[in-house]
Amino acid sequence: MRTPLIAMLAMAPALGFAAEGAWVTLPGEPEFATVLAYEDSQSRVAIAPFELMTRPVTNADFLGFVTRHPDWRRGSAAPVFVSGEYLAHWSGPLSLGAAALPEQPATQISWFAASAYCEALGARLPTWSEWEYAAAADATRADARQDPAWRETILAWYSKPSGEALALAGSGAADVHGIRDLHGLVWEWVDDYAAMLVSADNRDQGDADLLKFCGAGALSTNDRENYAVLMRIAMLSALEAVDSTRNLGFRCARGLSRAKDPS
Amino acid sequence: MKRHSVSLLFAISLLLGACSERARDPEPAAVATPTVVDTGGSAKGDFGPPQGEPINAVLTSPPNVPPATGRKAPAKVIVTLEVIEKELPIAEGTTYTFWTFGGTVPGSFIRVRQGDTVEFHLNNHPDSKMPHNIDLHGVTGPGGGAASSFTAPGHSSQFTFKALNQGLFVYHCATAPVGMHVANGMYGLILVEPPEGMPPVDKEFYVMQGDFYTVGKFREKGLQAFDMQKAIDENATYVLFNGSENALTGDNAIKASVGDSVRLYVGNGGPNLVSSFHLIGEIFDKVWYEGGTRYQENVQTTLVPAGGAMIADFRLEVPGSYVLVDHSIFRAFNKGALGILKVDGPENKDIYSGKEVDSAYLGDKAGSMAAVAEAAQSKAAGTLTPEQQSKAGQALYAGTCSVCHQDNGAGLAGVFPPLAKSDYLTARSNQELIAVVLNGLTGPVKVNGQDYNSVMPPMSQLTDDEIANILTYVHTSWGNTGAAVSKEEVTAVRASTTRAEGAAH
Amino acid sequence: MKSFIVSVCLLAFFAHTPIFASEALPADSIYQLQASFQDQQDRSFQLAERRGRPQLVAMFYTSCKYVCPLIIDSVKGVEHGLTAAEREGLDFLLVSIDPARDDVAALASVAKKRKLDAHWTLARTDERAVRKLAALLGVRYRALEDGEFNHTSTLYLLDAQGRKLTSSSKLGTVPDPEFVAKVRAALN
Repeated sequence: MRTPLIAMLAMAPALGFAAEGAWVTLPGEPEFATVLAYEDSQSRVAIAPFELMTRPVTNADFLGFVTRHPDWRRGSAAPVFVSGEYLAHWSGPLSLGAAALPEQPATQISWFAASAYCEALGARLPTWSEWEYAAAADATRADARQDPAWRETILAWYSKPSGEALALAGSGAADVHGIRDLHGLVWEWVDDYAAMLVSADNRDQGDADLLKFCGAGALSTNDRENYAVLMRIAMLSALEAVDSTRNLGFRCARGLSRAKDPS
Repeated sequence: MKRHSVSLLFAISLLLGACSERARDPEPAAVATPTVVDTGGSAKGDFGPPQGEPINAVLTSPPNVPPATGRKAPAKVIVTLEVIEKELPIAEGTTYTFWTFGGTVPGSFIRVRQGDTVEFHLNNHPDSKMPHNIDLHGVTGPGGGAASSFTAPGHSSQFTFKALNQGLFVYHCATAPVGMHVANGMYGLILVEPPEGMPPVDKEFYVMQGDFYTVGKFREKGLQAFDMQKAIDENATYVLFNGSENALTGDNAIKASVGDSVRLYVGNGGPNLVSSFHLIGEIFDKVWYEGGTRYQENVQTTLVPAGGAMIADFRLEVPGSYVLVDHSIFRAFNKGALGILKVDGPENKDIYSGKEVDSAYLGDKAGSMAAVAEAAQSKAAGTLTPEQQSKAGQALYAGTCSVCHQDNGAGLAGVFPPLAKSDYLTARSNQELIAVVLNGLTGPVKVNGQDYNSVMPPMSQLTDDEIANILTYVHTSWGNTGAAVSKEEVTAVRASTTRAEGAAH
Repeated sequence: MKSFIVSVCLLAFFAHTPIFASEALPADSIYQLQASFQDQQDRSFQLAERRGRPQLVAMFYTSCKYVCPLIIDSVKGVEHGLTAAEREGLDFLLVSIDPARDDVAALASVAKKRKLDAHWTLARTDERAVRKLAALLGVRYRALEDGEFNHTSTLYLLDAQGRKLTSSSKLGTVPDPEFVAKVRAALN
């Protein structure tokens, strides 16, 4: 009588894993031209091949996660790891409700919670460089950043008022790698958001307040015309790990990177 | 204090001079030319710690201005400003997603007194996509506050500053990319009153100019997106007062009465263009140029730098509609930099004998654009009739075509050809007539037996549906017979002919 | 009953985040972070074991040329501003942001060179935990091409339960008097 119950419980995690989105492998690039102008890097970063989720993590995905991990439920998660707004749009700690459709990207999630989700899958958040490299693509090219049309499409998202409901994760067009919604849906956490050593006043570009950032000035950018990236940097640098917003979600990455996988 | 008694003495000496029977000395003998005393700037701007209970600042939406503080001692003032990203109309039938301080463009007007300690709270609405901050030009400190107010959506920041310098200052968002945040309407004004306050006037108004850059053309209908390349090229689509073509026109005109003393607090958010600010029909008695301490008198047009401001005082003697413009005049008539001050009260024929300035200057601006809006709606719904087109065309014809061809289509004999019962029109197809409107016409023509050899400038700044409606109106008025012209025909002609150098698209 | 216990154990086994006993540990304590640290004497510890005394915490790395020596000076500056009794009640924790190169020997070498007594713990942990601890404190850092780091340099004062009380970014042997005042308040 109890045996089937045990069997079901044992199967539950496996069932949960099947709900996650697909992964694609990106080939990486040995000398990717990043928009970040740090003194040391000559604006080139090496990006090793890695895997990335094809779409952001959804409410349904995250519900499965908190079902399995009670410590990350709203109300149970420690306030050092999540803020008061954590999953505030869900109708309950274990129920989504009308304001959080299962296939919409999961938002109002702190960096700690997003990291925990990815770690539970044996994965991690992508680094900024990996995100920037993946997001440079459009439907036909791995690097479309020089194309003004690419920029205009991205800028158009910022023109749309934010009160509208979020589109479903994965509903955007696939890029050349098969990845969707890196632009135009939600901002996404990266593992090293804290490496954005940005001065709160972005007009101080290159003003080296050396002591504040121990040996570096605040961040400068190379490509002043790549507003999509600029605004993402501004957004990430405004956040602390415990924060979340209605427009900020995440997806996971796997594989070698400059920030090593959990040891 | 010292400045007051000096000017008082100076005034008294002038009066004495005027009342005297004998011929006045060119220079008043009672007092030597007063030495110009400066305010001492920030070095003399700290009046000590705040006194009394903290005050919540009264913030107003444009075009209103908070009342004078009336304070005599420095106070602690709490200012709470919310950033909201929202879709608002920028022109009739056209909307834009503005990023606003306090829900309006320009943002709320802040009024404090020199020496006040301001505790500033910046709240970023949770629905915002972007982080924002604020740089107030009246702040002495890094970034003008920008370094201390970087706020993510759903968060609030606080910083405190002392207003050391008096003046009228711009504030704006300074988050990267700064130009885009400013171009989306994130600016406003903060007045730091001189210690003795501004001289009292009957009415005060808040006007702020800005340039806007959209992917679509001027007055293209629907939700328009920001165009970064146009902003970099400083090729403005709209130049507006208070964030919308209709912000200060029609029912939204600012109002005053004959005999009122009026003050305009005028800012220029930019991001790019400098304003040549002028009030048609009035002279500014005093202009505190650049929002500073000294004023110039008797000014017609004054420059307001991008990221700058000025204060203008004047008195109204004659009723009518006075028009605020940027006197870089194409901006007023082709990009929307136009507002109205409606003044009521008794006529004063001694000062001005003529009629109101309305029709000559305003053309299609004061007239109802309802017919145009209705035609736009019907076009979108697919139910547009020639009658609707003609009605809309009539509203558009006035002020644009009527200037030469007259309201009755009669033209000017020998100079401008008539349109009424014109054989030139009946002999030509819609496509040829559209080409004339789009590309202009020069050289000799014969219309109704008369020779004309004038220049018709290209009118390609008109949109496709505007040209279609105007030509439909011409075809169906003054005894003309002709078919309605469709927007699609205009689009085809625009695409298949080239525009002259310098003409609009 | 037995099956019930078994199923609970299975659930716990499959849960990837261990359910730690957090009743006594306040919800806003940084010690909620579960990670294994090693100190300069190769002893392992969890953050929660540091409960009971206020801590001055900072992040550094041993090959840092610019600011990190100043961090140690700054902490010592605070130390000197305290009475002997107060010094007894305060511990110092410096965590390396470069665990790959800062092994136990490197930490021990710094401790010896700067003559750091038993109140000082120089610690290392795995890279993921370093990121999480930095995120909890509010430290921002970035690895450079040559192995150096750019990082913010702030001293954090935690209370006896690991909750953040205050912080100071003013570096140097003469500490911020306001910060010292807060440290003393926490100790008394």
